[in-house]
Amino acid sequence: MSDIDVSKERVNTSRAARSQQEMPRLSAEEKDDLVHRYHPDYKKEAYATLRFGPNKGEQTVHELARLLEGESPVPADFPALKPAHQVDILIIGGGGAGATAALTAKAAGAKILMATKLRLGDSNTVMAEGGMQVAVSPEDSPIRHFVDSLKGGHMANDRVLLKQLVEEGPSVAQWLIDLGVMFDREDDGNLSLRAGGGSSLPRLLRCKDYTGLELMRVLKDCVLNEEVEVLEFSPVIELLTDGKGSCTGAILKDLDNDRRIVVQAKTVILATGGIGRLHIQGFPTSNHFGATGDGLSITYRAGASLTLQDTFQYHPTGAVFPEAMAGLLVTEAIRSAGAHLLNAKGERFVYELETRDAVASAVIRECLEGRGIQTPAGRYGVWIDMPLVDQINGEGTLEKRFPNMIRQFSRYDIDIRKEPVLVYPTLHYQNGGIQIDAEGESTLKNLFVAGEASGGIHGRNRLMGNSLLDIIVYGKRAGAAASKRAAASDFGPLSLDHLSRFRKERSEAGVNSDVVSPMLFPDYVKKQ
Amino acid sequence: MWHLGRPMLHGVGCLGGVCGACPISIRLPNQMAPKTALACQTLVAEGAEMAFLPGDASKKEIAPLPAETPNQNTLFQYYPETRRCVACGACTSICPQGIDVMASVREAMNGKLAETADRFVDCVMCGLCAAVCDVKVRPHRVGLYTRRLIGAFQENEATQLKKRIEEIGSGHYKEQWAALMEEAVH
Repeated sequence: MSDIDVSKERVNTSRAARSQQEMPRLSAEEKDDLVHRYHPDYKKEAYATLRFGPNKGEQTVHELARLLEGESPVPADFPALKPAHQVDILIIGGGGAGATAALTAKAAGAKILMATKLRLGDSNTVMAEGGMQVAVSPEDSPIRHFVDSLKGGHMANDRVLLKQLVEEGPSVAQWLIDLGVMFDREDDGNLSLRAGGGSSLPRLLRCKDYTGLELMRVLKDCVLNEEVEVLEFSPVIELLTDGKGSCTGAILKDLDNDRRIVVQAKTVILATGGIGRLHIQGFPTSNHFGATGDGLSITYRAGASLTLQDTFQYHPTGAVFPEAMAGLLVTEAIRSAGAHLLNAKGERFVYELETRDAVASAVIRECLEGRGIQTPAGRYGVWIDMPLVDQINGEGTLEKRFPNMIRQFSRYDIDIRKEPVLVYPTLHYQNGGIQIDAEGESTLKNLFVAGEASGGIHGRNRLMGNSLLDIIVYGKRAGAAASKRAAASDFGPLSLDHLSRFRKERSEAGVNSDVVSPMLFPDYVKKQ
Repeated sequence: MWHLGRPMLHGVGCLGGVCGACPISIRLPNQMAPKTALACQTLVAEGAEMAFLPGDASKKEIAPLPAETPNQNTLFQYYPETRRCVACGACTSICPQGIDVMASVREAMNGKLAETADRFVDCVMCGLCAAVCDVKVRPHRVGLYTRRLIGAFQENEATQLKKRIEEIGSGHYKEQWAALMEEAVH
């Protein structure tokens, strides 16, 4: 028997004894200490100081700093800016936030154009598994939701943004239901609620472990029903400004025809999502192929400020074996349902429903201190004992509630109903992002931001289920605010003045790297 | 493909088996006929033959939700060809998600909309089922529309949710918020 098999056997044989074991919760001090010692956000050598731009002097990870300080793909002698499209609102990004913004803006009567890098719906939204937090139960309240999220975010959340998030949760849930989203229900028709890490009460609405897919399928269908004009395979490569602090449009790149498309817009909504594919600090990621933080670099160049750009979420349980699944999520809902985390000795080492930053830190600690399990490909991980879920909740629970998880592992002949699997933190979410006000507007006038690209709502650590809520609440807010603004505005002049300023600052700061941003796609092509 | 030194753009999406961007046809050396699968969920093997299949090209009907409680006629109004199903089973055999597509089309024909909705929970909208249908049924679109009908017209209301929305609307939490925001600022 190999070391892995011996360790796995320990997990299997200790299951019955463990099922009743109580794991102590971490005190605030213990959690703080754990996170400071092991969380990747506190690894000093991973960070660089931004040398120029709106957040000059502040820190972020090297991978992002390189892009923020990168050169634009738009040359200084770009031909005259003649718009191919003139719209009230240009929506950049075709995920959950972009689609919600589009539906809201369309309902408000705005003329909109949506541009997205891959296809409409290709996004992190579609991959979300666990659910959406909404304070629904009689014991619960928006106040409790607020306090839980604030604690989870290390008190760094923007209070105004967070209040709006939790308070508008119930009404956006109703909006989604009216669009035909099938959240799981109890027999009496009430929404079925589940617990998430860091939440004091069960508050997760979900659709089995396909919550994001369910939301995105419906939102996409609605966008198509509304006949929104969508340009697919057309990422934004540069924003346009009037040279006086307002956004007036954008330059898109038509990937299939290698053309540039100039769009003049009264307002722009940026919903470009996250950064997982930057593989910060070498981590694998749970994110989709296009999650390269494009919105951050173009916005930074145009002069808008970022906030909390130094903090990222590493989801505690990304698969590490089989190698083909590395980085893919094992949903937190599995831990909510009772699955244990175990080290090589088959021992639990953390209460599994601490906030994600704490659980991730504990997993990293186990592996660093020699209590991890090494995979054949050389990765390290700890066990997540999913068969326990069936033992606690009854045979068939996994099958009923986690069909996606079962399907994904079964493709590699692993039956999660029978054996534990190996996991390690995976780069999951950008906690910070572009700074926005209560209506979703950035510090660059007429540029609105919604979803993961924005920052502030989640502080330094997002709670499970608050992201699906974020994209809907702030997608709607941005859509409404941008429509209102557009109705009261004229088209502004199109210029690349901000780019001249950026290039001047860049050279004065002595930056001369040949990095071009936005990155658009990670480069996985093997060089022959 | 990346390993072979080939860049990919179309046919790549979530890389996690849910977006439906990457359906392929693959035949392993020991198999008679090729099978369909999602590329990102498939291990390659020495000697395998593989081709990426084109994306969903089936027509999307503009199908809004009705005002009244739906039945199968609501569905047929937009997807009338559903009734033409000849039960050949091609859709079921091509589905990379292993959904019994044909069974659910038959259920939709017979007005068992809830059953159809349930079966399509795993659907990633790749559209292969529609591409192979001889009589031009669009099962994935039927499935999604049916899910939306069922989702929007639940028999029992989510009363707790309704109550919470009313509470918030009536200013029930106003004082607690005032105290909390004050505290949070200091």
